[in-house]
Amino acid sequence: MEKKKAIWGFIFTIPAIVFFMIFDFYPVINAFWMSFFKKDLLSLKPPKFIGFKNYTYLFTSEAFWNSVKATAIFTLGTFIPMVLVSLVLAALIMTRKRFQKFLQMAYYSPAVLSSVVAAMIWLLMFDPRGLANQFLNFLFSTQGIDYHWLSNENMLRLATIIVYFWKYVGYFTVIFVSGMASIPRSIHEAAIVDGASGWQDFLHITLPLLKPTTLLVSVMSMIQCLKTFSTQYLFVQGGAPRGPIDVITLNIYNTAIRDHQIGRASAMSVILFFVIMFFTYLQFKVSRSEEVTY
Amino acid sequence: MKKVLVFLSMLLVVVSMAAKVELVVWTHEDPNRTPLEEGYIKEFEKMYPNVEIKRVTYPSDKIKEVLLTAFAARKGPDIFNIEIQDEYPYIVNGRVAPVDLSVLGLKNYNDLKNLYLEGSLDAVTYEGKIYGLPLELTNWCIFINKKYFREVGLDPEKDYPKTWEDMVRVSEKLVIRDGQIIKRRGFDFRYPYYLTFFVPMVEQLGGALFSADGKTAIINDNAWLKVLDFMKQWGPNGKNLGSPTYTAARKEFNKDNNTVAMCLSGLYQIDRIKAENPAFYNSKEWMVVPFPVFQNAVKDVRCNFYGHYYMVNAESSKEKQEWAWRFINFMLSHPQEYLTKVGLIQPRKDLIESDVFKNYPYANVFLEDMKKAHIVPLHPQGPQIEQLIREAVESVMLTKTTSQDALKTLKKKANDLLKEEQ
Amino acid sequence: MKKKIVSVIIDVIIWVFLLGFAAIVLVPLVFMFTASFMPSNEIMKMPYPWIPSEFRWQNYWQAIKGNDGKFLFLRSIWNSFLVASITTVGTVFLCSLTGFGLAKYKFKGRNFVFFMILGTLMIPFEAIMIPLYLIVTGMGMQDTYAGMIIPLLMSPFGVFMMRQYLLTFPDEMLDAARIDGASEFGIYWRIVLPNSVPAIATLSILTFRSQWDNLLWPLLIVQSPEKKTIPLFITIFVTEKYTNEGAMMAAAAIASIPMIILFLTLTKYFLAGSEVFAARKD
Repeated sequence: MEKKKAIWGFIFTIPAIVFFMIFDFYPVINAFWMSFFKKDLLSLKPPKFIGFKNYTYLFTSEAFWNSVKATAIFTLGTFIPMVLVSLVLAALIMTRKRFQKFLQMAYYSPAVLSSVVAAMIWLLMFDPRGLANQFLNFLFSTQGIDYHWLSNENMLRLATIIVYFWKYVGYFTVIFVSGMASIPRSIHEAAIVDGASGWQDFLHITLPLLKPTTLLVSVMSMIQCLKTFSTQYLFVQGGAPRGPIDVITLNIYNTAIRDHQIGRASAMSVILFFVIMFFTYLQFKVSRSEEVTY
Repeated sequence: MKKVLVFLSMLLVVVSMAAKVELVVWTHEDPNRTPLEEGYIKEFEKMYPNVEIKRVTYPSDKIKEVLLTAFAARKGPDIFNIEIQDEYPYIVNGRVAPVDLSVLGLKNYNDLKNLYLEGSLDAVTYEGKIYGLPLELTNWCIFINKKYFREVGLDPEKDYPKTWEDMVRVSEKLVIRDGQIIKRRGFDFRYPYYLTFFVPMVEQLGGALFSADGKTAIINDNAWLKVLDFMKQWGPNGKNLGSPTYTAARKEFNKDNNTVAMCLSGLYQIDRIKAENPAFYNSKEWMVVPFPVFQNAVKDVRCNFYGHYYMVNAESSKEKQEWAWRFINFMLSHPQEYLTKVGLIQPRKDLIESDVFKNYPYANVFLEDMKKAHIVPLHPQGPQIEQLIREAVESVMLTKTTSQDALKTLKKKANDLLKEEQ
Repeated sequence: MKKKIVSVIIDVIIWVFLLGFAAIVLVPLVFMFTASFMPSNEIMKMPYPWIPSEFRWQNYWQAIKGNDGKFLFLRSIWNSFLVASITTVGTVFLCSLTGFGLAKYKFKGRNFVFFMILGTLMIPFEAIMIPLYLIVTGMGMQDTYAGMIIPLLMSPFGVFMMRQYLLTFPDEMLDAARIDGASEFGIYWRIVLPNSVPAIATLSILTFRSQWDNLLWPLLIVQSPEKKTIPLFITIFVTEKYTNEGAMMAAAAIASIPMIILFLTLTKYFLAGSEVFAARKD
């Protein structure tokens, strides 16, 4: 009986296995295999085996390290503020008696726009004559200063971070709100009875109980940030310099599509794959040891 | 008897269906061209009912990516056109078939070359064979909005910029700013097409992108430095006349809304003005003048031209290739319509010598410039080198990097790139 | 008394912060809708006027008509709906079935399967684009809806999410159904699915949204103009020739309206669905 049941479990996963084999594993293995070859995408000649040369090339290539830097800056610059701000927003929303839903909806709304549309809007706003400069000039009560949103290295990085942050902060806020709402009211009440202030309650009750949610959210958002592509791609197509925002996925894309170096691009994908794998593993490790019970 | 007839006609249908040749054509999105070409396709299909043409358009900035993916998967279309710089690797890698002379009714390649303006097939000539036929050749000249010239007390007919130094002077008069932010630019370059407009500027001062043997890049530091200095002076850290972060000048130009007085564009821009802003087009308040040259230029070189060439997939069946060239030949037999309806120059001698061409507004300005120009540098690493030039120019224009430092980086990276391939 | 004043002040500060933040988040959306009615020189005016001097419905007309005047935008909205809906239904079915199998059955190699699926979560799409294209065109699915949909039916993230959710699904309910003589698939269909609405809602919304947004894959697969989805239509529309920012914003607005309507009508699911992520016990 048990055995028969187990077989059903396997049967249920068969469609998934078939799909993954065809549309994921094969391409991945293909990429892994190709990373040991030199091949021009357009060439009909058979690929040339070059061992680890693609990897050694990458590790000595300035452009690759620039991409590592761009990806690291984007990832850290996006997901840390995003997790912190969404946590704060969620905590503050929880203290409100009215407009809870309205606020969540407002914060969430950018997430429904497609990235093509978002990039179109933001490119117009970052034009030197656009709203971004007007806003900063208003804020600092200056006149006619151009903050070089799309040209200055750091401003450009900030610009991509803003777009991403804007798009997803509401999403994570909503997740945190749900997480907080699921903490039983009795625990909070007990703390208040013991004389804890709202701040202490947040620090000693909410935060620790929210840890699994926080971990899940940060790892998810970090992986998403490491894989970011469309914002940077559309900005570069819109005329921004590539260097400061040449994240790894963009570099992979250009190496393959513009330079036709499929082997080198594959090697980069493999490295990215292992980096993301490492962080996911880390998350699993940490979350296992930190199980929470109410 | 009737039955036999029905049977025969059915058989005929079946046979003709079986023999139907489908040709897939990929081309870039150009709303002006589409109705014209769809008409020609219908005509062609009527002439040859056994051929069916499937014309597919892609956005102009995406088509090369899609095409490359398709060719990498060996699923490329039978016929395509992209910009010549990007088509070049297809020739080198043997992915496209040479022109089928017999289909065109020609004896040898020289006969073919004789049909076209001198040199216009050089770009597609490789190891003695010709691999493409030009859909359009484009060079850029300066478009001027006369109103703004007069507004600041300039006579457009006389005071238009002839040299790059003029360009700075005139632009300083035309520019309107709010603090650092430019509300109206006099002129602005066509970033980031540096191989097209920037390299000729270097050549005017005696520099070059590649050495004669093609083994070294960035020749004559002095010329490069001068042009980089020029760009630095142009940008926000210099006289603040323009920068790559503003909306492309050629797009603003059509609107005639006091945001830009001059831009760099091809003959096709005229038709775009007509389509987008008929009032401005009819006002005749615009004109076209040649690409400027530095005052102390050592060489009179004008803006590089580039082109789109029709090419045929080498992996299509022999039969399809033949039909493909027949189709291309048919499509290219209407150069006057392409000029008058969509503003594209097909460099055929019969067109250039025709009255239609001679009477077409400003066609001569473009032609004269083209005679002093050459095609964009073709090199398998071309796009990467353009990216490096872009980085150099942007670093001097937008950051505090000196021209010397930018050039040093550019030179090193470009030469590393060349070495890598050998 | 003093304490009360302080708490009122804090209260006001929190309101200002929350509402101010909401206002800033909404600025780009407001910009899109207002600019969509403006002629292009008004959009680039400093300072930005916010209220259009006249409502230029031509912008919308131009966007709907498209570059070639064939009204393909409406078609592309339909295509986006079709592709996104079918993908969503398929993904929900396959991911929940797999997640159920992984969460509630102990079979040999279960963990292996799970981790392999999880591993694919880490692959950036750009990395496998070319081999994937080879496979899909090899199956003759180029320029078909199937080609757009089938390769995206399996979402490793979806499997992961459904498994996590179903781990906490009460075993008693499953056993009760078994005693009643339900087949294993029947249990999935009649017990598990109807009782996983929050997870399914979340997964559906996520899938629908990401398909609605997908640019790269349809760009590679679709050729016929009448099969193009919204992101493709927009990238073509804003191509070189038409440079009217007002019409661009109108196109952006039209493209966004269906999702906004969906968001407003299904707010409950958009917001409540995320409970699934508020993971408690593993």
